[in-house]
Amino acid sequence: MELSLKSEKIQIGNGINLNLVKTDKFKSNLLSFYFLRPLTKEEATKNALLPLVLKRGTDEYKTNLEIQKKLEENYGANLSLAINKRGEKHVLRFTVETVSGEYVSNKEYIYDVFNLLKSIIFNPLLEEGYFKKSYVDQEKENLKRKIESRINDKRSYAIDRCIEEMCKNERYSIYSLGNIEDLPKIDEKVLYNHYKDLIKTSPIEIFYVGHYDDNMVEYMKEMAKIERKNIISIPREQIIRGAKTKNMVYEDLNVNQGKLVLGYRTGIPYEDKLYNGLLIGSDILGGGPNSKLFKNVREKESLAYYVSSTVFKYKSIMLIDGGIEFENFEKTIDIIKEQIEEIRRGNFTMNDIEISKESLKSSTMSIKDSIFLISEYFFSQILSNDNRSLEEVLEDIDRVTKEDVVEAMSRLTLDTIYFMRNTKVMNI
Amino acid sequence: MDTKIYESEKLKEKLYYKKMDSGLKVFFIPKKGYTKQYAIFAADYGSIDNVFVPIGEKDPLKVPEGIAHFLEHKLFESPENNLFEKFSKLGANVNAYTNFNQTAYLFSSTENFFESLSLLIDFVQNPYFTDENVNKEKGIIAQEINMYQDNPGWRVFFNCLQAMYNEHPVKIDIAGTIESIQKIDKELLYKCYNTFYNPTNMVLFVIGDLAFDEILDVVEKSQKNNYEKAEEIKRILPFEDKKINKKIIEEKMMTAAPIFHIGFKDWDTGLTGEKLIKNDLVTNIILDILFGSSSTFYNDLYEEGLINTNFGGYYTGKESYGHSLIVGESKEPKKVYEKLIQLIQKPAETLLLEEDFNRIKNKTIGEFLMGLNSIEFIGNNFVDLYFTDFLLIDYLSLLEKVEYKDIIQRFNSHFTEENVVLSIINPLE
Repeated sequence: MELSLKSEKIQIGNGINLNLVKTDKFKSNLLSFYFLRPLTKEEATKNALLPLVLKRGTDEYKTNLEIQKKLEENYGANLSLAINKRGEKHVLRFTVETVSGEYVSNKEYIYDVFNLLKSIIFNPLLEEGYFKKSYVDQEKENLKRKIESRINDKRSYAIDRCIEEMCKNERYSIYSLGNIEDLPKIDEKVLYNHYKDLIKTSPIEIFYVGHYDDNMVEYMKEMAKIERKNIISIPREQIIRGAKTKNMVYEDLNVNQGKLVLGYRTGIPYEDKLYNGLLIGSDILGGGPNSKLFKNVREKESLAYYVSSTVFKYKSIMLIDGGIEFENFEKTIDIIKEQIEEIRRGNFTMNDIEISKESLKSSTMSIKDSIFLISEYFFSQILSNDNRSLEEVLEDIDRVTKEDVVEAMSRLTLDTIYFMRNTKVMNI
Repeated sequence: MDTKIYESEKLKEKLYYKKMDSGLKVFFIPKKGYTKQYAIFAADYGSIDNVFVPIGEKDPLKVPEGIAHFLEHKLFESPENNLFEKFSKLGANVNAYTNFNQTAYLFSSTENFFESLSLLIDFVQNPYFTDENVNKEKGIIAQEINMYQDNPGWRVFFNCLQAMYNEHPVKIDIAGTIESIQKIDKELLYKCYNTFYNPTNMVLFVIGDLAFDEILDVVEKSQKNNYEKAEEIKRILPFEDKKINKKIIEEKMMTAAPIFHIGFKDWDTGLTGEKLIKNDLVTNIILDILFGSSSTFYNDLYEEGLINTNFGGYYTGKESYGHSLIVGESKEPKKVYEKLIQLIQKPAETLLLEEDFNRIKNKTIGEFLMGLNSIEFIGNNFVDLYFTDFLLIDYLSLLEKVEYKDIIQRFNSHFTEENVVLSIINPLE
């Protein structure tokens, strides 16, 4: 078997770390820059707009066309820019993945791709000292449409809406793409000033996964050579222990299927000993096809095609969601509540715990087979200040007891029920 | 016994093959250093196989829409009703999918691979259908159908197929309809099962850090051997006119902006094996040159605000059908359509330049190589290619053989105004 997965960390600047993961397993290499920001109403929309604008053109490659051609020439190097919400942190990611030189008999071309990534992050196309106006205007319109298109995926829309309602007064309710009302206030100047600030003050984590030598490491160090002074510190998520008010939200839309989401406060931070117990509990409840919800809501009562439970690590909440007939709303909620009670009463077997442990361990180990997940994994370890090795993470999962699961599940309090329905076709 | 090894130096991969006495073909690709293993057991049977002569019978039978998919759900039944639990206990993640052409059962694992493999073969080869468990499934599948009905991307796609095809069953939703699945019973399921799940109509593909001998041992011990001797399955496809069915289909539903599919129905069908896959590659390269993110068309329309980054084109072709789809989101889909029609009127030589061809070919090579990092990508594509008589391990060499002149020829025959349709989903007022 292969050796354990390790990342070597080198501080290469003020608040900038280069993390190297050496492996020959893949047919490609991957380089990712992560910029960390606090999730705030003030900057969320700007953060979301930024990658869209940066992708349009750089000082060296002035148009999207030139960028795309460059990528294609380099064996379809994959460029991806993303904005993600990680708890109450907003993370901008810039990634390139390239085919390893040995497969295309050209070992040097990776520097070309690195250079393109550097150009996109650090040398944007400017016009009169700011971003190019037409790019910003077009991307504002694109972002607006993207935000509006949330509704197209009803399942994830329902989950987002439940979170918004549940965390109404917390930063976690901010949508990862920001919001449409903020767009008119943003122009090429505002956005450029925000960009400069972001480059200067954000903690930056760089990950490289693949084969490398000293030359490459030197090159990567050079890429991020920037003068910086005050690096911002990003606050930890607010955790609410126990729901203060119970919330029932109906949203009336023209749909065929009802979407039910139950939002629970867990009160268990990811640093807590009980966190793994919560993960196991959630898996026993609604993890896979062996779970209580799958067996009872789907297999026994034929109420749903999908029904599952998910823990949101950084925010200490747990969501259960399912797609059902409008009429089965109350019946489904009753079954879900009853199944949670069953776990609280200890009505599950050691076998159930073993199954959930296996599933959790297996998906953790699977990270090793994906070049992208390797960098995401080490990055999330940094986000949660977790210094454990992958092996230690697995051992900790193994240590969970039945009492831990009962205790963790007993701490759940129901905060918000969200239901997407269509009153036009309902028999009420 | 006849074990074969195919090797690709370029890919640095090997493919092992053996045909078992039962007629089942087993393939294996070793992946050193991988933590996961993946096995996929698939039948050459999809939603388009809805008229056929059942095994041991003489007359063709037309079965209810959605039955291949229904059967996929029902194979997970066993008398003890604990299949998921067994897989879960082994730490294996079991799943299945049905598409137009195949039904596949698969699992991935990080340990207990051989026990899981044995379990996979066992449950796929031992159906257990009862009136009760068949009826129970109808509610679950009805919810699956409802879920897809609320998905604008799925609807715009099927409306496009409806517009292109007159009779071909590819126009029918894979899961069927809530009404059609009511007609499914256990007798019909057994008929489909016995016809299409004969080992001679199936393939088993395994990938991971494993040894072929051990895999074969487990297959030998786990598989059933008492199958009816199978003759070639008679599948009956209706006559499909070259003409499209409808020029345009528009529908309104809950969506933010209008979304569209522009479809070019393929007339050059009937290909299999290398010819089919080459045609697929050639057409996809053309679509990428014309509509990909480095195309003039894409960048002009993007600048005009007519499309966003969701725009692009791809081709799908099988023996009996094929189509190019150009898809996207736009406030004015009809304007995009008009511009596209204007574009294809131009001479091929001015639209498809040799330097663009070379660049896109490079890109296609790179993307394929990167895909090989994923054992799921390899498994799913292996099966899909295998059922069209092509081995994944030969894909790169075939791709390298594609020449500039191939694309010019293909463009002229495929992209015409007669075989194009438009499907639009508009938002509700």
